[in-house]
Amino acid sequence: MTVLSRRQLLRYGASAVAFASATTTLSSFVFASDDEVTSGDPEPGVGGGDVEVDLTIQDVDYELIDGSTVFMYAFCINGAPPRIPGPVLRVREGRDLTVRLTNLSAHAHGFQVPGMSGSAIDTIAPGASATIEFTVGKPGTYFYLDPMFSPVNRVLGLHGALVVEPDDDSASSGAKMPYNPADATAAIQALFASFGASSRFPGNRWNESREKIWIFNQIDARWCQRAANGEIDAVAASEFANDFRPRYFTLNGLCGIDACHDKDTCPTGRIGEPLLLRCLNAGLACHSPHIHGNHVFMLSESKGASGVISYNSNVIERDVWRMESGTIQDCLLPFTAPPDVPPGAWPPKQEKFPLRYPMHCHNEISQTAAGGSYPMGLVTDWHIDGL
Amino acid sequence: MPLISRPIVDPAEYEEFGCHPFTDSPATPDKVARNVFIRRQVADFNVTMADGKIILFWGFKDPDVSGGDREWPSKLIRVKQGQVVHCEMKPAKNTHTIHWHGIEPSPYNDGVGHTSFEVKSAYTYQWMPHQAGTYLYHCHKNTVLHFEMGMYGVLIVDPVGTGTGANPKLAYDPRPGDSADGIQPGAPYAAESILVFDDIDPRWHTMDHNLGMCGDDVGLDRFEPKYFVISGVPNNKTQTDAKTAIKAKVGTNVLVRLANASYSRVGVKLPVDAWVVEIDGRPLRYNPDLGSYSKPYKISANTEIELATAQRYALWIPNIAAGSHSITGTFRHWVTNKMHPGGQAIAKIIAQ
Ligand SMILES: [Cu+2]
Ligand SMILES: [Cu+2]
Repeated sequence: MTVLSRRQLLRYGASAVAFASATTTLSSFVFASDDEVTSGDPEPGVGGGDVEVDLTIQDVDYELIDGSTVFMYAFCINGAPPRIPGPVLRVREGRDLTVRLTNLSAHAHGFQVPGMSGSAIDTIAPGASATIEFTVGKPGTYFYLDPMFSPVNRVLGLHGALVVEPDDDSASSGAKMPYNPADATAAIQALFASFGASSRFPGNRWNESREKIWIFNQIDARWCQRAANGEIDAVAASEFANDFRPRYFTLNGLCGIDACHDKDTCPTGRIGEPLLLRCLNAGLACHSPHIHGNHVFMLSESKGASGVISYNSNVIERDVWRMESGTIQDCLLPFTAPPDVPPGAWPPKQEKFPLRYPMHCHNEISQTAAGGSYPMGLVTDWHIDGL
Repeated sequence: MPLISRPIVDPAEYEEFGCHPFTDSPATPDKVARNVFIRRQVADFNVTMADGKIILFWGFKDPDVSGGDREWPSKLIRVKQGQVVHCEMKPAKNTHTIHWHGIEPSPYNDGVGHTSFEVKSAYTYQWMPHQAGTYLYHCHKNTVLHFEMGMYGVLIVDPVGTGTGANPKLAYDPRPGDSADGIQPGAPYAAESILVFDDIDPRWHTMDHNLGMCGDDVGLDRFEPKYFVISGVPNNKTQTDAKTAIKAKVGTNVLVRLANASYSRVGVKLPVDAWVVEIDGRPLRYNPDLGSYSKPYKISANTEIELATAQRYALWIPNIAAGSHSITGTFRHWVTNKMHPGGQAIAKIIAQ
């Protein structure tokens, strides 16, 4: 019998009691997202016990910011509408994750969580199903993806985030962290211990509701067409790295104003409410995300196919971080007062809350769509709602 | 086949977000007394490339200095930590902004159209840098084009304190309780090299100011740089021009400030050991009580470090040896990671 975490109760309300069993089945339920308890936007997750999910892979038409559509592959969870990226999966460290995968695409696909042994399904023929069960590894952020013709099928839509939550999420100071004290470095522990307890970070501790997931990707319609034509094979995959010419740049599948308006993408909060950003680059291009208003603290990183998370012993503050293809980085947006406002102008009287700041990739080519339409590319906003 | 539709957005909002950003010339909100007053106006610059071709750039001139309209990239701005800075910006024609890259002021003073406004006739930006370090300033209107057109300059925030003896300057003020293993806290230095790497696609330099904002395909997804410069110096002159080939006295410390203003991945290699002492305007030091959790780290000689677009790194070379030390920058494609044809530029530190 697994006890529900406070988080589950908070997020899923009374109906979550139905899941208070050792194995939680997501197959007949769709959960609300972190921010939107009643919306139909599914973002399934479970903190407590073992987790089973039914995923299907489908061929989809994907509508882009300029109204054009391209062929892509998408994950969907149990009859919910398909989405790119796939729904967020949450599992607690050391629990078993069972994925029942059905391939409704016209093409063969596979499945893997890089960094987790025993997670790979090599090939599932069109119309076929396969099941894989594995024990999830260390806390942090992972991709689940289709590793076939890597990275082609990942870039063409088959990617999503798997979040592993720690079993023991409190540092010796009592501060909550997204990692285990045994894994978190002294610098990470010191940072989390400082929130709400130091002159630089007045306000609150971090808590697990304060999180956003940012998945970057790029789209080249020519490659979408090749996939639609069934032309993706080993030869095509070998050409991909030199031939991929992205013309759309997405954040959680959205461009420009759509990402700025998306509640699951745009961080909001008050000063003193630090927020974890889990950043994943599903695409092929190397991104240079740049944030205004606050620097971020770089916490952990995993690179490419190995998926092994390293927890940073050197927690560097940056306003631009480098996201190579396939990498994942967790960083912390402290939600402090913007530090370069003159003290005499703070708190602002003539300027009004919310204070809005952008996060955008500084390789500005990524700020375009279809060769123009600045800034309908990889951008979102974050808002400071008040003191 | 199922269709994944994009969300529904108010067309008027879509229009203002992209095609017609909000423009204004407001008074500075929450204005306080200033310590520093700077003026910048938008101007054109003709810059000679390595093959002798003259390319049009845009930038910010200083109207208070004669010859202020001849310096590209835009003139270095150097202020001290804790000074209240006012910068009056006049776009001359069309709209532009200044974003103080790495500085974190209020949104009105952040220079981003879709979160505040683009400057119509004049605006006085207000900010007070709380931390010494290496920053940039650049236009944030139709940034994909205006940044490539060269509307940027370096912004350095100096600390209040000074070094001593042979190394009279500091990169930052050490604080009580700071530890910075491996370096002298504050990274005292005598000579400074400021290197901004940029790549230029001449096709982009014939475009109109608003091109690419209203849905037309103007080819801004294709960036094929032909020219490579450091701090505006074409790469056939970077080993001799005084801007990029600096002199240092043997045995003193040198601070190398690197910034990537290109649309490439830039790898930088030095022939001597160096320490990373500051990144993006934040000194590397450990002091949890004061909110710092990082450490300086050593880059061994001939080891490449890579700068993403718009990152800044300050490298500290203690006790520099005699010789002519090359700082080699390699420009690589942001998708393929292959070196661009001719994509290299070399700066020098001549230690005598
Ligand atoms: Cu401009
Ligand atoms: Cu910038």
